[in-house]
Amino acid sequence: MHIYKLLTTFLKVNIQQDLAYRADAIVNMALSLMWLGWELTSLSIIFSNTETLGGWGPSELIALLGVWRLVNVVMATIVWPNTEKFNNGVRDGSLDYTFLQPANSQLLISITRIVVWRAWDLLLALTLIVAGITSSGGITTPLNVIAFLGLTISGVAIIYSLWIVLISFTFWFTKFDNNVTIMQALMDAGRYPAQVYPVWLRAIVTFIIPIAVATTVPLQALRGDLQWWQILGFLVIGVGAFIISARIWKAGVRRYSGASS
Amino acid sequence: MQPVQTRNGTSRIARNGPDPIIVDGLSKTYRVTDREGGFGAAVRSFFKRKYRDVKAVQNVSFRIGSGEIVGFLGPNGAGKTTTLKMLSGLLYPTGGSANVLSHTPWERRADYLRSITLVMGQRNRLSWDIPAADSFLLNQAIYRIGDADYKRTFDELNELLELAAIIRKPVRNLSLGERMKCELAAALLHRPQVLFLDEPTIGLDIGAQVRIRSFLKEYNRRSGATILLTSHYMADVTALCERIIIIHHGQLKYDGKLADLSRRIAPYKLIAVRLGDCIDCDLSRYGTVVEVAAEYGADGANGDGGKQLVQVKADEVAAVTARILADLPVSDLTIEDPPIEDVIERAFHE
Repeated sequence: MHIYKLLTTFLKVNIQQDLAYRADAIVNMALSLMWLGWELTSLSIIFSNTETLGGWGPSELIALLGVWRLVNVVMATIVWPNTEKFNNGVRDGSLDYTFLQPANSQLLISITRIVVWRAWDLLLALTLIVAGITSSGGITTPLNVIAFLGLTISGVAIIYSLWIVLISFTFWFTKFDNNVTIMQALMDAGRYPAQVYPVWLRAIVTFIIPIAVATTVPLQALRGDLQWWQILGFLVIGVGAFIISARIWKAGVRRYSGASS
Repeated sequence: MQPVQTRNGTSRIARNGPDPIIVDGLSKTYRVTDREGGFGAAVRSFFKRKYRDVKAVQNVSFRIGSGEIVGFLGPNGAGKTTTLKMLSGLLYPTGGSANVLSHTPWERRADYLRSITLVMGQRNRLSWDIPAADSFLLNQAIYRIGDADYKRTFDELNELLELAAIIRKPVRNLSLGERMKCELAAALLHRPQVLFLDEPTIGLDIGAQVRIRSFLKEYNRRSGATILLTSHYMADVTALCERIIIIHHGQLKYDGKLADLSRRIAPYKLIAVRLGDCIDCDLSRYGTVVEVAAEYGADGANGDGGKQLVQVKADEVAAVTARILADLPVSDLTIEDPPIEDVIERAFHE
């Protein structure tokens, strides 16, 4: 209940803040649309030369692009803006105040800044997913849709956990400003199905840095390509990643209290 | 109200209830990498680190009673901020214990954090991009303040700090003084019982300093909150604190009444004498002449002998004053306490 109240208050304040910068929001929404055009053009160039990409047809790749964008919405709405806030807080010491507030510090640093107009990207992402699935002619069942939703949430949890781990490292290595640049590079790898990469790279992308889990896997579930135990396995990975990252964050905060001056 | 003996024998006034702040043998040692300057040393240090222990706070003990305002003084790097950070819960100590409102601060339990506040004059609690009013709302949610309580507290703070005109502007557009008012309000919305204030008036102009000071005094009177305050401005200390704690090189140097410190460290008074027609009158036979400020009349002639400051032992002031008045053509005479800055400075180095 308290978390709900915190979330809605932070959201409300951030909406007010974004409303004050109207031009900024409009320009960024236009840019986002332009990028989408560019991504679709790239796909059409690829498919003018080949029928399938790692066994995936054009419609399915459009749906994948949608899922990839969905995960990116989370990054652009929460992860990037709060990383900036977090790094500034470490530098100027204002993070001290966060640790003195009677609420979960991980939650607080995750929702301080929410770029609300990114909801527009959410709309684009959902359009792509629906368009891709319907035009592929694939038959999907309600069960597949539920699995897709569950795995998307799990995928987002994995990406979020990866972010929490990366910024927690700041407590051990004080000079770690580019903590999430590496993440942006990895996110870009999730734009294509994991099957297009060589086996060794696919293994890295899937298991070590599980971007594919967040993008390809949900779509596989929607296509009905996954067994129930695979779905369950990926859900468990999502929950596990979340728990482990929260532990690492707590250890980092303890470290901060022990060492900072 | 009853006087209480502290560890070093000085007395103070305790109000109701048990002491909200009890500090016993608190220590904090930082481990820092140590290397000499120069390229060679930098390369060597890359392969083999040398560490050095910095004892920021060493075995500091004190108790603060309910409703007291205590000045926590010391030169830069004395360990004041480190102590405040330990007491507010931000830092783990390397030794000793602290008990604030029956909590161990560094456990950072939610009900502890809801009953204290830390204000650091050099750091921003408020977000720069949004108006203070929005930050207040976030605090209301974080501290779980009910709407009625929030309104009551805000109205009271607004009455004391005149916030209404400034809280709608983005914080980045506020002057330093206005920002500090908002920072204080944000820190007090949850009605903390213990306030740790680390240089709350730093960088403010005289007018703003006076306003913050009188606000703190009034807030303390109304709420009965206990306040531990650091400041480099002695005016803050003399206006607010009956009792001071002095710390230097991490060690406690003095804990007691400000007035007692003057008597102990500087047991003298200054007699300021302005003489009439007596240019060459020598005051050195009455005490040490510490300052001669010659002033001249409008016509350029030596209209009077200027103001001279004579330092005299405190217990001899009455006798010496009587002799000066009897011996010399005095046009004006005042007796002053030694400047508090000098007293504190001496205490640091004793």
